[in-house]
Amino acid sequence: MPIHEISGCIGCEACVKSCPTDVIQMDRERNKAYIAYVEDCQICHLCRLYCPVGAISITPEKSIPVMVSWR
Amino acid sequence: MSKKTDLSRRRFMGAAAGTLLGASALSSLNLNAAPVKNQPKIDPQAFSSNLLETDVLVIGGGMAGLFAAVKAHDAGARVLIVSKGRLGSSGLTPFAKGIFSYDPATANMSIDEFVAKVSESSLGSSNPVFTRQLAEYSKARVEELKSWGFFDSALYNNSFMRPIEARGIPLHERIMITHLLKEQGRVVGASGFSLDDNRILHFRAKTVVLCTGSGGFKSSGFPLCDLTHDGTVMAYKIGAKVTGKEWNDGHPASAVNSGSCYDNWHGQVEEKPNITSVDIHHDLGVDMNYTAYVLGPSSQGMGPPGGPAGKGPGERSDGPPSMEQVSGGPYVPEAFRRAGGPPPMPPQQSGFLAGLFGDKKPSGPPGMQGPKVGGSSAGMAIHKSEGLVPVDETGLSTVPGLYAAGDALGSYMSGGIYTQIGSSLAGSAVQGAIAGEAAAKASQKAKAVELPASKLAAVEEEILAPLQRERGYSPAWVTQVLQSVMIPNFVLYIKKERLMQAALAYVEELREHHVPMLLADDRHKLRLAHETENMIITAEMKMRASLMRKESRCSHYRLDYPEVDDVNWRAWINIWQDEKGQMQLEKQPFGTWPV
Ligand SMILES: Cc1cc2nc3c(=O)[nH]c(=O)nc-3n(C[C@H](O)[C@H](O)[C@H](O)COP(=O)(O)OP(=O)(O)OC[C@H]3O[C@@H](n4cnc5c(N)ncnc54)[C@H](O)[C@@H]3O)c2cc1C
Ligand code: SF4
Ligand code: SF4
Repeated sequence: MPIHEISGCIGCEACVKSCPTDVIQMDRERNKAYIAYVEDCQICHLCRLYCPVGAISITPEKSIPVMVSWR
Repeated sequence: MSKKTDLSRRRFMGAAAGTLLGASALSSLNLNAAPVKNQPKIDPQAFSSNLLETDVLVIGGGMAGLFAAVKAHDAGARVLIVSKGRLGSSGLTPFAKGIFSYDPATANMSIDEFVAKVSESSLGSSNPVFTRQLAEYSKARVEELKSWGFFDSALYNNSFMRPIEARGIPLHERIMITHLLKEQGRVVGASGFSLDDNRILHFRAKTVVLCTGSGGFKSSGFPLCDLTHDGTVMAYKIGAKVTGKEWNDGHPASAVNSGSCYDNWHGQVEEKPNITSVDIHHDLGVDMNYTAYVLGPSSQGMGPPGGPAGKGPGERSDGPPSMEQVSGGPYVPEAFRRAGGPPPMPPQQSGFLAGLFGDKKPSGPPGMQGPKVGGSSAGMAIHKSEGLVPVDETGLSTVPGLYAAGDALGSYMSGGIYTQIGSSLAGSAVQGAIAGEAAAKASQKAKAVELPASKLAAVEEEILAPLQRERGYSPAWVTQVLQSVMIPNFVLYIKKERLMQAALAYVEELREHHVPMLLADDRHKLRLAHETENMIITAEMKMRASLMRKESRCSHYRLDYPEVDDVNWRAWINIWQDEKGQMQLEKQPFGTWPV
């Protein structure tokens, strides 16, 4: 998992705004952020760094296959 | 509930959510699922449409957009910024940590010498007007950033917001601009849609400053998956000339967790920015691609990044093994070769990072320890070598009223190669400021042009088209095909005629037949659909320009034309769309402006 878990969210929306690739969305009813498009996570950690309460955890593996120039 | 059980319960729920996410990720990609009728989760008919007005429209919220907006405002214009992502938290800007400041009091060379040395390193491909501009104005921009608190935090949103809020400049974030509007031969605005609600926005402006950065093929391990050369392609579609598509940024990625930008860059995003001073290199990157091509991937590290001997991390006695010597490969000018050492190596921040390396925890770009894979920034050229063709030093494009700055401007500030650490960020600041001020002045002379309702309706139709289609292709699948065609080392980096012709045939097929059938069922996929089209057009530009340049120079390397050809190729390549919609290419001699 790239962005992996959101736990203890206070609903400030900072992560939704700070994610360059639009991975996170708000659940308006629960007023909590959730991971909507995990396959587009570029594992840059901006959401985690902008979260005021440290609610976001991220692991280094992509959830989809990665195309590289050689392996 | 005790704290302990609460925690373990949370962990359990996390794991469960993780599994679920994995499954939904695959299904939303539609890679393994059977094709189904597109059933949008949002109603394309429910989109509202609004028109906003300003003198100067700045598109993009990175370093260039920040300065363009501030300086256009300070020159007396009404300004508005619109950006696909958040100010200072989108594009490449959040990840750059070294910013160049030319300080005449302490610099070890004059500005004339600086300009000449950059030209020497770039084999003449730099534009001295923009190199000089960088040196002349970088210090002033860095001082302004300092006063806004830029150097006090690793995260840039706060310091970027300070001058914007102080001036009351309206800021529209998370709006993807898809169209530039042209009437009576000049740019008159732009249109796009919101990522957060069902809104289409039209902007009417007297002048536009395009600060949309660069882009790539959503490759892995380099944080540019939000950028797909949108601005360049939009401008191309209204007749602007575009340049620089044959150059390649050559950042590798770690072979382990290649897709993690954070780990590839050793957590550098958590560091506060700092200032760099004159230190001119010839930092390729593509030489690493060449070594991997000739010898095969290495199980060892690929050696240290470039830089003067004695300064790179490879000089440490406990450093990683040097890159293997291979014959042939990209030409490196004599003055920039390392005596007895490995050929100069990639990332542009090497010297600055070398400093960090000596005594601190590992930090900075990939290219150091451990096995590497290539292509982490595939689809992106050297910063400032690609983008709109300027017709003068303000970044005015070939379309009246349309300016570009930063990574969206093909200024050739350092040519087709990285020469000066920290200059990319500083260059965006310097160029943004100059373009913003020029756009403000020009807006005072321009009269506002009405946007015909029929035109706006046609644009709205195009924006929403992927939501309206019942049958077609998912952007994720088309992107995957494009990546498999373009990213291999033997197509994009170690170029040869036959393979590029083959790739071009695929790319043309994608453009002609697949772009008109891209699907979206929500706003996120709508964004992906438009981005996918832009990547495909960029791929075509890259192949055509690379086929045309029958020589090797800087970061453009052809196996079938490995030599620098100064007789025929002291020239940049411009690309534009003719009246019939055909892609055209031309040479523009180094040191000249477009005719
Ligand atoms: C990991 C990394 C490390 C780097 N390190 C350094 C360094 O140490 N020193 C250095 O000098 N340079 C460095 N660079 C390069 C530097 O970051 C860039 O050259 C510079 O930040 C570009 O700034 P910009 O404003 O021109 O473009 P960007 O910062 O890329 O901004 C582009 C903006 O345009 C917006 N945009 C894009 N498309 C659209 C659209 N369709 N509609 C609306 N808005 C849109 C984006 O949301 C974004 O806000 C690094 C880059 C990376 C990725
Ligand atoms: S790690 Fe980066 S790409 Fe992934 S969700 Fe967070 S901000 Fe978005
Ligand atoms: S930044 Fe943190 S607290 Fe704010 S919405 Fe995101 S996860 Fe919740």
